[in-house]
Amino acid sequence: MNRRRTQRWVAAGAALLASTTLAACGNSSDGSSASGGNVTLSYALWDPNQAPAMKQIAAAFEKKNPGIHVDVQITPGQQFFTKLQTAVTAGNAPDVFWTDPIFFQMYAANGALKAQDGAGVDTSKFPDQLVSLCQSGGKLYGVPKDFDTIGVWYNKSLFDAAGVAYPKDDWTWADFQSAAAKLTDKGKGIFGTAAELNNQQTYYNTIYQAGGSVLNADKTASTYTAPETVQGLKFWTDLVDKGYSPSIQQMTDTSPMDMFQTGKVAMVWEGSWNVKPLSESPVKDHIDVAALPRGAKQATMINGLCNVVSATTKHPAAAEKFLTFLGSEAAQRIQGESGTVIPAYNGTQKSWVDAYPKYHVQAYVDQVPSGVPMPVTANTFDWMQNEPTILGKAWAGQVSVDDAAAQMAKTIDDSIAKNKG
Amino acid sequence: MSVSSTTAVRRPPRPGRSRPGRRQDAGWALVLLAPATVGLFLFYLWPAAETLYESFTTSGPFGGHTWTGLDNYRQLVHDPELRQAFVNTLWYTLIALLGVPISLVLAVLLAKPGRRFVTTYRVLMFLPAVTMPAAIAIVWKWLFHHDYGLINIGLAKVGIHGPYWLSDPHTALVAVAMVGMWAGIGYGVIIMMAGLQSISPHYYEAAEIDGAGPVRRFFAITVPLMSPTIFFMTVLTVISTLQMFDLIYVMIGSSNPALPQTRTVLYFFYEHTFNQNDRGYGSAIAFSLLAVVVLVTAVQFALQKRWVHYE
Amino acid sequence: MSDTVVRQAPQAPATSSKHRSVASPARARRRVRLSSIGAHALLVLAALWLAGPFVWQVLTSLKSLTEATSVPPTWLPQNPQWGNYGTSLHGGVPLTAMLVNSVLSTVLRTIGQVLFCAMAAYAFARLRFPGRNVLFALYLSVLMVPAQLLLAPQYDLMLHFGLLNTLPALILPGMFGVFGTFLLRQFFAGLPADLEEAARLDGASTGRIFWSIMLPLARPGLVALGLLTIIQSWNDLLWPLVVNTDPAKMTLPVGLAYLQSLFPTNYPVLMAGSLVAVLPLIIVFVGMQRRVLEGIALSGAKG
Repeated sequence: MNRRRTQRWVAAGAALLASTTLAACGNSSDGSSASGGNVTLSYALWDPNQAPAMKQIAAAFEKKNPGIHVDVQITPGQQFFTKLQTAVTAGNAPDVFWTDPIFFQMYAANGALKAQDGAGVDTSKFPDQLVSLCQSGGKLYGVPKDFDTIGVWYNKSLFDAAGVAYPKDDWTWADFQSAAAKLTDKGKGIFGTAAELNNQQTYYNTIYQAGGSVLNADKTASTYTAPETVQGLKFWTDLVDKGYSPSIQQMTDTSPMDMFQTGKVAMVWEGSWNVKPLSESPVKDHIDVAALPRGAKQATMINGLCNVVSATTKHPAAAEKFLTFLGSEAAQRIQGESGTVIPAYNGTQKSWVDAYPKYHVQAYVDQVPSGVPMPVTANTFDWMQNEPTILGKAWAGQVSVDDAAAQMAKTIDDSIAKNKG
Repeated sequence: MSVSSTTAVRRPPRPGRSRPGRRQDAGWALVLLAPATVGLFLFYLWPAAETLYESFTTSGPFGGHTWTGLDNYRQLVHDPELRQAFVNTLWYTLIALLGVPISLVLAVLLAKPGRRFVTTYRVLMFLPAVTMPAAIAIVWKWLFHHDYGLINIGLAKVGIHGPYWLSDPHTALVAVAMVGMWAGIGYGVIIMMAGLQSISPHYYEAAEIDGAGPVRRFFAITVPLMSPTIFFMTVLTVISTLQMFDLIYVMIGSSNPALPQTRTVLYFFYEHTFNQNDRGYGSAIAFSLLAVVVLVTAVQFALQKRWVHYE
Repeated sequence: MSDTVVRQAPQAPATSSKHRSVASPARARRRVRLSSIGAHALLVLAALWLAGPFVWQVLTSLKSLTEATSVPPTWLPQNPQWGNYGTSLHGGVPLTAMLVNSVLSTVLRTIGQVLFCAMAAYAFARLRFPGRNVLFALYLSVLMVPAQLLLAPQYDLMLHFGLLNTLPALILPGMFGVFGTFLLRQFFAGLPADLEEAARLDGASTGRIFWSIMLPLARPGLVALGLLTIIQSWNDLLWPLVVNTDPAKMTLPVGLAYLQSLFPTNYPVLMAGSLVAVLPLIIVFVGMQRRVLEGIALSGAKG
């Protein structure tokens, strides 16, 4: 009798274990079984500001393609690429996702992205410069999504109070510096500007404006120690030293964007993707934007994202259909009209400008001819992640700008040697 | 983690006279142990073996291992950042241990017979212990804010210009460590109060009769008789501090200039394993931390003989 | 040592104590009252230190960013901004979905831990079987291993099971624990053997004895383990952060980390979001505080 009962217990225990595992497995397969005709594509991105536009695009696509469902997944900030890399390594990447030039080369070169034969994508509809950002080794791996440049946002109330004239698109470094000086009011805790430690929005721009660069022409070595490059960095450290910008520690406690939105900073350098949050901020009624000031020459970082398909997607046909749609004029127009980013498709840029009648956002588009693409190597993130730590010491005055630049140059050269490119 | 294990193990299950054969016991043991043991092998033992193996390999940005022998361990020995992380972890542990005497004093104050509002105090003091570290980190980050944080506002009232607590490499570690200690006090108070209940009131009555004051009673009676509980809290505090991650991840984060001076070994491990996808080196770091955990615990148990008195 | 103290204490100095208390009862009472005031002062200070930050959190969560960053600061929100809660819930991080995930994963992890640990603990404490000591040594060997160090292989495991980015992935590893087995083994070992033996004489099987007699007796231990598991599961950041990719399949601690990367220094919104994340557990705790505190105390005494 006892034995039989034992067996029953064994059976019950085994069943319990099996059911947990089975239930678990069953759960995983929903959405990935292509056989039934119903397909769910995951579309991963990092900017929640763009979520409404992306969901609108997904809805438009679903309407045209019954049976395919698009699940928009947002992982904000830096965590996006941390998680993406882990997922790609595990062969578990989202079906379609965004990449930016900093990560694109590494993903393309390591076979994480599905190459496009060009059948579904008409590259002639996009600016060559943006198409090249989605190419690696002569092959196309995605569709241009958008592009962005940088502008100077300023608080008109603070300018009026300090009696400073509003910036014009042809202004110079000297104009910017003198405005920053006059706008700074230590008694009221107001800073002329914020030297944010952000390569794309601040110091890369001034490096190229000064005539410097980060990499040499064939990307085999760093040029961080060039006098012009150092001058581009000193542009910012001088502002900190003179007290026209909050210190790096103050900016760690309160971001420049939040200081600008509470009227404590008069001018911030912001990418075009930040226009939407600025247009909804508490200071929205008394701010405007101008082109970046010119140094030895005019320059702005220009950057573009690509929509790409994972090499390991279980639904290649559906994913490519969606990719084609993302590169269509209709989808790109939705992006522009939402005001979130400047669409890449030729002729749709105006829809973005028109979304902001109140502001001089045309300045972003006008700067395109002087645009400089982000400096990239085979594994850009490998060295770029060290920039804040190394340059932060110069911002804080702990090391000289020359020393920090030399250390960056070494970091980049080491990375190029290690990653063979 | 056991303190009283010695006392509990002392009584082995009695082989009952009337028990039927042991064979049935074995069958039942199999059934009862199956789920937990499958879990043990699946989620602990196999991963530990896998981690050990990977610590001898180097991985590419998207996986794939190559056997590189002791390379990771060689790199580890000469890694100044890892050394700093170990030093940081040591400091966190030392500061967190300050919470043990604080918990004991608070518990003694609360355990006094006839003390009023004990329930309210205990509930308030235990709040941090049920709050997730991620939320604790966010709240304290705000309290530590240079310009608008309550701490610096308070300091300004007495004429002190407070530092940038969380981004100044000189203060960031202490600030984070204080939060870690803060979060553990409530748990300590509850455990200590339970321990105090097992001390016979006779000791105190006798001491009072002898004319010993409260301080004297505390050191002559409470501390020695509480030494098993104090030891338990010490071991627990050390183990949990060695695993500190959430506070660093949320309060400091990857772009804070004070990160090198504040990150723990576990955070360093996470950076290498998941941010940089360098699993081989990450595994080697994991094993070095494991070695330290085992070593520290062994030392603690060896030392306990000197100062812990079991009744 | 203890015996001697106890035995001689009540006798010898008794007279002197009686003598002293007779001498000045008023002074003694005043001293007691003074020391009581001092003790309460310390306790209030400690309570303020330990619970005060939560008050400030609630107040800040209702201010506008401008008000929160005004000097000198305001104590009470001048114009309560309930919108901060809306922003934290709908500002790009799916906190509502994460709340559901947190509840589900906490409940299931806790059931798993309590059940599986109790089963194994009973076997270790009361049954005799070959290999018991070896197996128990294996359990002990991982007692001190910080589970976080095993993240990467555990992730691979989920990949093998095809569970990455699913709810079961959040739950499965957390259902098993060595500490719980250890804790409950102490419990079972300390229970009286009489009932068990009586039942056995009546012909009850081991399974029946475990389920109907021993489990109810061990209830305080199960509750203690359950509470510890609830707190741990609810607050766990690292595992969900690593194992899942879709934010809608993550839990609240990850949500807070994400919220912070979206609103790095918008403290009112961050305070609101973190309050949403901690409130459920705080409500449970305050509602059943007596049982929670007893359970925690028990885990310390037995662990």
